[in-house]
Amino acid sequence: MHIPDGYLSPSTCAAMYGVSTPFWYGALQRMKRTLHTQTTPLLAVFSALSFIVMMFNLPLPGGTTGHAVGVSIAAIVLGPAGAILSISMALVIQALLFGDGGITAIGANCFNMAIAGALVAYAAYRLIAGRAALTSRRRVIAAGVAGYLAINVSALLAAIEFGIQPMLFHDAAGAPLYAPYPLHIAIPAMMIGHLTIAGVAEMVLTAGVLAYLQKADPGLLEGTAPGAAPSGAESIDPGWRRTRPLWITLGVLLALTPVGIVAAGSAWGEWSPADFSNAASRRQIARASGSVAPPVAAPSGLRRLADFWTSPMPRYSAPFLRSPAFGYLLSAMAGTGVIILSCVLFSWMSGRTRARAATGS
Amino acid sequence: MDERAHSRAGGDRKLMASRSARRASAFVEKSIHSLLETADYAARAERRAESRGLLQRLDPRSKLVGILLLIFAVVFSRALWPIALVFAAAVALALGSGIRLRAVAVSIWIPALLFTGAIALPSVFVVEHGGRSAAFLVSRSLTCATLSALLVFSTPWPALLKALRALRVPAIAVAMLGMTYRYLFSILDIARDMMESRRSRTVGALSGAEQRRIAAASAGVLLSRSVQLSREVHLAMLSRGYRGEAFTLEERRMRPRDWTSLALFAGFAALVTGFGR
Amino acid sequence: MSATAAVFELQQVRYRYQELTALDGIDLRIEQGSRNVLLGANGSGKSTLLRILDALYFPSSGSVRFHGRELTPKLFESDENAFDFRRRVGLVFQSPDVQLFNPTVFDEIAFGPLQLRWEREQILSRVNTVLDRFEIAHLRDRPPHRLSGGEKKRVAIASVLVLDPEVLLLDEPTAALDPRSESQIINLLASLGDGRRTVVIATHDLNLAVDIGDRCVLLERGRVAAEGDPREIVRDTELLGRVNLIHEHLHRHASGLVHSHPHRHPHEH
Repeated sequence: MHIPDGYLSPSTCAAMYGVSTPFWYGALQRMKRTLHTQTTPLLAVFSALSFIVMMFNLPLPGGTTGHAVGVSIAAIVLGPAGAILSISMALVIQALLFGDGGITAIGANCFNMAIAGALVAYAAYRLIAGRAALTSRRRVIAAGVAGYLAINVSALLAAIEFGIQPMLFHDAAGAPLYAPYPLHIAIPAMMIGHLTIAGVAEMVLTAGVLAYLQKADPGLLEGTAPGAAPSGAESIDPGWRRTRPLWITLGVLLALTPVGIVAAGSAWGEWSPADFSNAASRRQIARASGSVAPPVAAPSGLRRLADFWTSPMPRYSAPFLRSPAFGYLLSAMAGTGVIILSCVLFSWMSGRTRARAATGS
Repeated sequence: MDERAHSRAGGDRKLMASRSARRASAFVEKSIHSLLETADYAARAERRAESRGLLQRLDPRSKLVGILLLIFAVVFSRALWPIALVFAAAVALALGSGIRLRAVAVSIWIPALLFTGAIALPSVFVVEHGGRSAAFLVSRSLTCATLSALLVFSTPWPALLKALRALRVPAIAVAMLGMTYRYLFSILDIARDMMESRRSRTVGALSGAEQRRIAAASAGVLLSRSVQLSREVHLAMLSRGYRGEAFTLEERRMRPRDWTSLALFAGFAALVTGFGR
Repeated sequence: MSATAAVFELQQVRYRYQELTALDGIDLRIEQGSRNVLLGANGSGKSTLLRILDALYFPSSGSVRFHGRELTPKLFESDENAFDFRRRVGLVFQSPDVQLFNPTVFDEIAFGPLQLRWEREQILSRVNTVLDRFEIAHLRDRPPHRLSGGEKKRVAIASVLVLDPEVLLLDEPTAALDPRSESQIINLLASLGDGRRTVVIATHDLNLAVDIGDRCVLLERGRVAAEGDPREIVRDTELLGRVNLIHEHLHRHASGLVHSHPHRHPHEH
């Protein structure tokens, strides 16, 4: 899911840097306030760890392998602020030193994987695990679901970023300048791989590591399990209450996405979904491109590809996504909705927990 | 580091020859392979950065800013030929800096072509002006990947991270990135040792579920040890006067030739942006 | 006790870590300019004691005084006190992975001076002097993962001595070194004690105790089991056997050798 340079327009890249910056700043302030001098060594070592774990070839059910991001287990052990920063740093090192992911796309990659991933994983984990005992089976399931959701939300965000490129940016002749596929292709193409492989890899890693820590080092899980554990052990999670501003910012930004769609609405007119489903224009394209035979299958063997993108063919797209306006609105709303809904639920639940704690029951 | 990596890689090949061993723990084998590849890539990049050449002689700051400007120019371009121009310039810079094109081809071009090619190819058939669009996607991502490879292959990594200060990245972020880079190799070594001892203890074929359990437990052990390591490092930092603030020794002044090279980069980038409008 | 001034005075120091009692009532006096060896098997509490001396841990009960002033967390809340103590006392950790946390050798040596807010020119000249003195100038821009074991140790010691502390604490300085680097480090350590600097070394290496120490404190399960002249202590094979520093069979087997060439104890218990 590491978006390379050249897939996103400069304005999209700038916007994603802009959106990510307040999260980085806020998360760092939270960490410094709670961890003081421990912040730097903990985050640095943890992001080095995430980098290494991203290289693990996880064996998945069905005989395939996949790579996890590790953001969900980071969110469970460090809390969302720590996960945002450590995964972001791992992504920066990957882009800058190892050429994995583009330098201009660092903002987007960090927003998708580190920021949205950490917040979704944290919310899902806290929501499902509730006040279950530290060693309960419920926490393993919560971790697995959190991992699966986090990666799929990240992938959906990446797909939306891809999908809006051809609507907004093309050259004088009308050729898309950046990622060429519209939403109704980009979304299913991205999601198939993530729903079946990358999401499962993150699920396997998160649930498996949590189960291991329950036995070997349960103290590391106490930070994000208030009410479940006897207090006294040192906690490295700044806690829900302190990360609330991060959540509110995310909520507001996502609520604003539909506004962005309306603002960009004029661009839709230039783009016609009928063109590529129109047999005549397809023949024309084929002739123009020197009658290249259609690909039988996407080249296989490149391991990153499986995690990233499964053959982007229109036949995969659900029929309701074929209307681009509807498809975009729906996907944006779905992404926004999932996150805002979990925010609301979570806030409600954490309020209830606090109320109960306050009454001393 | 190199020799060790190579001798270990040799050992790997011997063990890989035994098919049963490979089947027994595909996860362990593949992960060791990935870890070795990473260590190897880093070692080669570090060695190239120490050799003498055009780019190696420049100040990391002017190099970082200059190459970023070129990447922006490529990303901004709305025509194909300015992108091709930058690509040609990147190839020339590589040759002038003693970076062998074969190395760039193997580690950058082929993976980028396969990856982006596989994504771009279908667009030829399903998107209007798909051919042109595919050309944009491939040329842009290939050129940007080549430019960032130039940066990485010609600059010691710690210096490159420190150059981020020139882009007004906060000192604490630069300090943390430097430390992340430093511990990358420690944790890589711990992971590799763990995998290798796991391999020597594994006999016979393992079921998928068993392999998943091992994989998760390995990540779990690494996580525990990393948290432990970070606590110790924290003490070592305190012992030497750390109070939570990051300081970097400001680098030496930019020399005239660093300014000149930065101006050349900027001028070329502006030219390309102009052509590409 | 004697006319020399005490650098550290410990009274009934106890240190509990979760349920474990690491130190159990330590009374200790460390004199200015002395070279002390804390000898003990793994788990005897010698590393914990070093960290107490470096004010990284504070005793659960009892008191630690540095030049007569009690070391408490409150004292370290002020930058001024913290910087004063950190400049005067330095600790070299056992593991290079812990001690060397900077991306390059140069950054490593400059770290302490930078934290203590030295002037830029002062830092540059001091770091360069130290790089030359420890013969590591050629490693200046290397990252720690490209150093050998002996080089790592030299950089580690240099990174602490750059501040020219009056007390140098070392945790297992010769652990995991090949014989050649080991003797280099021993020579280096021997040259440091010029009577001005106080040195405290925690080790289970009997050779090191004899070569470097002029005073030896033997620790056993968080208590002081014996203290005195290192040459006398390494001769007491019964005592050393009891605190797990030598094997039973070894001292019977080589009882004649133990006096002049005490055996190292390479195993960990």
